Parts: sequence; structure tokens; C-alpha cells
Amino acid sequence: MKILIADDSRVMRQIVIRTLRQAGYDDHDIVEAEDGADALAKVGSEKPDLVLSDWNMPNMTGIECLEALRSSGSSVPFGFVTSEGSPEMREKAANAGALFLIAKPFTDDTFREHLDGVIA
Amino acid sequence: MTTMDTGERRRSSDVRPVITDLIDGATVLSIAEEAWIALVGEDEILVPIPGEPPVDIVSSWVDIVGPWTGSVVLTTGRGTAEELSRALLREAAPEVLEHEDVEDAFGEIANVVGGNVKAALPGPSGLSLPQVGNAPVVRNPVDVCRVDVVWRGEPVSISVQGALPPLPVPSPTRENEVPL
Repeated sequence: MKILIADDSRVMRQIVIRTLRQAGYDDHDIVEAEDGADALAKVGSEKPDLVLSDWNMPNMTGIECLEALRSSGSSVPFGFVTSEGSPEMREKAANAGALFLIAKPFTDDTFREHLDGVIA
Repeated sequence: MTTMDTGERRRSSDVRPVITDLIDGATVLSIAEEAWIALVGEDEILVPIPGEPPVDIVSSWVDIVGPWTGSVVLTTGRGTAEELSRALLREAAPEVLEHEDVEDAFGEIANVVGGNVKAALPGPSGLSLPQVGNAPVVRNPVDVCRVDVVWRGEPVSISVQGALPPLPVPSPTRENEVPL
């Protein structure tokens, strides 16, 4: 399975990769994107099976990326990993077609809770 | 029936909340502790006591814009910010940290703490991308909720501070002033 991780923070991408491994999802190909625009391009070129994206990023936000993907007909499974988890944002994410929203800070338990059934 | 507009309702709704009306130090500390455990390490303890700040300090912060507007600012010694960055990067930390690694890691802690502070405040609000450098100035000393902690023996402050100056206090003598 190929997982695309989009976050403008390299450190946070490392932490997400580490948490995936700690949660037991350690046998997957990882592709990194540094903002929403990069993620949008890499969904096209890398054909990931899952996108884990930050919300607040320069150039293109995570929600803009998700909306652009759905507008273009892509149905790639998409979840947010973001420092903001207000009910309004969760609703906006769900309405745009996100599977889940993991709020930072997270633990490997949080990842398992949201990703079991999504990651084979 | 005619109701006289005394201005009371307008004045009370015009009152801008200060941060201490909206969040307390215990909540800010709890948010920071959770962020430290998840990002820095499970055994990383923040001791809520003030420490002597070093001369060479650096801040990271995010801005919140909404019913309450201000910044969530982390300030510590430059060496401590580097140590925090190494802790976040763990085995991915390079032998020599680049300035941008520290900006990224220290900024990300402010982003996570700030995002959770924002979630505890009345919304809707916007959150900026993190910045690292000299902290924004405190414009209104009353509009500050500051928590001082010590991490690995080094002081770190977490300041939730308003961006706006205090509102002018109406003079009571002017209220009853008769125009000449």
C-alpha cells in the first residue's frame, strides 16, 4: 500500500511516519508532499492508496487539495492529521469527503483507532 | 411601548473579551503537557515553575484571529529550542542541526499548542502558519495568560497574548457632560 503524507513541516511528516510504524503500519511505501499543491500533483503521479494531510499549509491547504481532488473525479481515500479539530472543521472535512480527522497531538492508539479498516 | 436606548446593551456587547475570561493557566498547561508527551516523548515532564530565562532566547508562535485575536507564543533559550528539535526528530535528527530544522520543529510545537488553544476559545477563528523569531510584543498586559514551566531544567514560557491594545476607558465625568 502506498501512503502519501502531506505536511509543510518536515518534522511533522517524520512524526507521522514514525507513528504509523509504531501503530503497526510499517510495511508500506511512503511518499511525502510539502503542501497541498504538491499533494495534488503527487496523487496524480504517484497514485497513492491513502492520503494523510495537514489542513493548514502554504500554497494550497489540505481542504483545498481534497476539494480539488474530488472535483477532478479522484476518490482516493483521504484523512486529515491536523492541529485543529473543532467540530466545524470535522464537519467541513466530512462534507468534502474526508474519511477522518486526527487532531494533533496524536498517539499510535489514535492512529490505530482511525486507520484500522482503512489501511490493509 | 417605547423603549429608551440607554446605550447599556450596546456598551456591554462592545466589551472585548480578554484571554483570562476565556482560558486559564491550568488549561494552557494541560494542552502543553499533552503536546510535549505526544511530540517530544512519553516521559517528558513540564514542571510548572518559573525559571531564570537565558539571554539568548527564541520564540515560536501562531496567531489566532477571531472573537479573540492574539498569539500563542512559546519562548525558550536558543539551546533549548535546538534540544527540543532533536527530541522531535529523534533518529532522523542530523548531526548538525540546520536553522530551518529548529524553525520547523519549534514552530510545529507552537502550531500544535496554538491549534488546541484555538479549539478551547470561542470561534470561528483562523490560525496562522507558525513563525519563529522575536516574539510579538504584548499590547495589553491584562490580555495575557502566561504559563512558565521548566523542561529538562530549562525554562520555557507559553504565553497566550492579545494582539490588540486596551480599549480606552470612558471617563465617568464625560458621561454626564452637558454640551455648551
